[in-house]
Amino acid sequence: MTNEAIIELKNIDVTFHNKGQTVNAVKDVSLTVNRGDIYGVVGYSGAGKSTLVRVINRLQPPTAGTVVVNGQDILHLTPRKLRAARTKIGMIFQHFNLMDSRTIADNVGYPLRFRLSKKNRQEKVAHLLDLVGLSEKANDYPAQLSGGQKQRVAIARALANDPEILISDEATSALDPKTTSSILELLKRLNKELGLTVVLITHEMEAVKEICNKVAVMESGEIIERGDLVSIFSQPKKPLTQDFINTATQINQALEKIYKQASALHLSDHQQLVQLQYVGASTDAPLITELYKRYDVVSNILYGNVEILQNTPLGNLIVVMSGEPDKLQDAWQYCQDAGIKITHLKPTDSEVA
Amino acid sequence: MSWFAKYFPNAVTMKSDFIQATGETLYMTLITAVVAGILGLVIGVGLIVTQPGGILENRIIYNIFDKIVNLCRSIPFVILLAVIAPLTRLIVGTAIGTTAAIVPLVIGSAPFYARQIQNALAEVDHGVIEAAESVGSGPMGIIFRVYLKEGLADIIRSSVLTLISLIDLTAMAGAIGGGGLGNLAINVGYSRFETDVTVLAMLIILVIVFAIQLVGDLLARRVDHTA
Repeated sequence: MTNEAIIELKNIDVTFHNKGQTVNAVKDVSLTVNRGDIYGVVGYSGAGKSTLVRVINRLQPPTAGTVVVNGQDILHLTPRKLRAARTKIGMIFQHFNLMDSRTIADNVGYPLRFRLSKKNRQEKVAHLLDLVGLSEKANDYPAQLSGGQKQRVAIARALANDPEILISDEATSALDPKTTSSILELLKRLNKELGLTVVLITHEMEAVKEICNKVAVMESGEIIERGDLVSIFSQPKKPLTQDFINTATQINQALEKIYKQASALHLSDHQQLVQLQYVGASTDAPLITELYKRYDVVSNILYGNVEILQNTPLGNLIVVMSGEPDKLQDAWQYCQDAGIKITHLKPTDSEVA
Repeated sequence: MSWFAKYFPNAVTMKSDFIQATGETLYMTLITAVVAGILGLVIGVGLIVTQPGGILENRIIYNIFDKIVNLCRSIPFVILLAVIAPLTRLIVGTAIGTTAAIVPLVIGSAPFYARQIQNALAEVDHGVIEAAESVGSGPMGIIFRVYLKEGLADIIRSSVLTLISLIDLTAMAGAIGGGGLGNLAINVGYSRFETDVTVLAMLIILVIVFAIQLVGDLLARRVDHTA
């Protein structure tokens, strides 16, 4: 990863007029993606993420703003130059968008017609199919393939022009979890091996968590939070971001179950339900034992989870701590000094920390 | 062949008339199919690419094409034959005969075919168009390498439909002076109460229609890889 910007979107507005109604799909959004990034853009349906990234290759012309890709002002290109620029920006889609009337090899070779000789084209297609692991399917038709295989073909097609950027528009949203992982792995491998810059649109924080190094969260046409993956995951500032993260780490589901049983827990004055979050080295310290030794505080673990993000561990524990009230205070202070974020949970909270 | 002479007493004596009439019907159908086919394809593609949201969106051209197609399709063919007789005379030199029939046949079938093509191409997934744009295809590339290729199976099916309705039109044109099997069926068979002539003309038309349907279905199935 370098700090050289490859995509620079500045003050992008996209407004749709439809039957007298005006929709501001994207509102004054600026976004910089550096060469080698895998940049996740997360948001719910209708947040404007697809519209925003379609601006990058001008499939969606913005109402206002500037778009610079690879040093080229995309919005002021002639149609011919725009087409040339688009060859350097690959794109994959939720529904794969393969051509049913062409074989797999012809789908992948589609962008290369008129650009390479027949022989070179065949070699290139064979290489691309090998890259995505579908060499033996060359003469099949898309209808004969599974969803994951279709997306691999779409990736091979998107790579045919040797692009420097790959835009993935909800590319894993129609796939099952296992296939999703394998597609994400492939994207990560391409990022490493080819130095491909990836912009990943998704509504699943799980996908972002697995491969992105940076993430932007979108809501109602605006980016409400952005940053590198670890800091967003460890210190989210907006409730929506927290919500996405909780879903991804499955804390939401865990809390829901815990709250349901909370009445059964019968927490006394000496007991407290807390969530502990820790990043990096602090995951290595034997915290629970330490708390018992130092403060006589017993921690009953209800839920635990460690994510490895960009080689940085990020831990989450939900525990019931039992001890003398003043000892509990000391224990919490100790945790905070150790860089552990403590959230006190009340079983009646509907809002999850 | 004695059963043939028994059931078709008049037709059996008219072998050369039937051969000539079948030839005329095929001639009118073929020439019209080529001319109207090209015209209809161009207008159909024009409608698809200029329609709102199309790759060459153009409200004015779209509306012109759209209105012309609607107008031509609204005129009953029998009336169209009479109305455009002066135009036919201008182009062909006469309003009577097989070649003259081609002018109204083209005008009668090209708009129908254009609409069929438009419907067939509308089935091409917009996402596929977008994917082609994203790899750098221009309008020509998208028309020839995406629309016409992806829509081919439906185009063949529409062509079959149009061809069959075209044969229907040739029969009508024939009846008012264009020649062909329609002429034989009406002006000979019907007018002279030689019902067997009418029936045989109908049977020959049915054979032609079935043949077109059969070949079309085979071709369409061959290029269709969606399932």
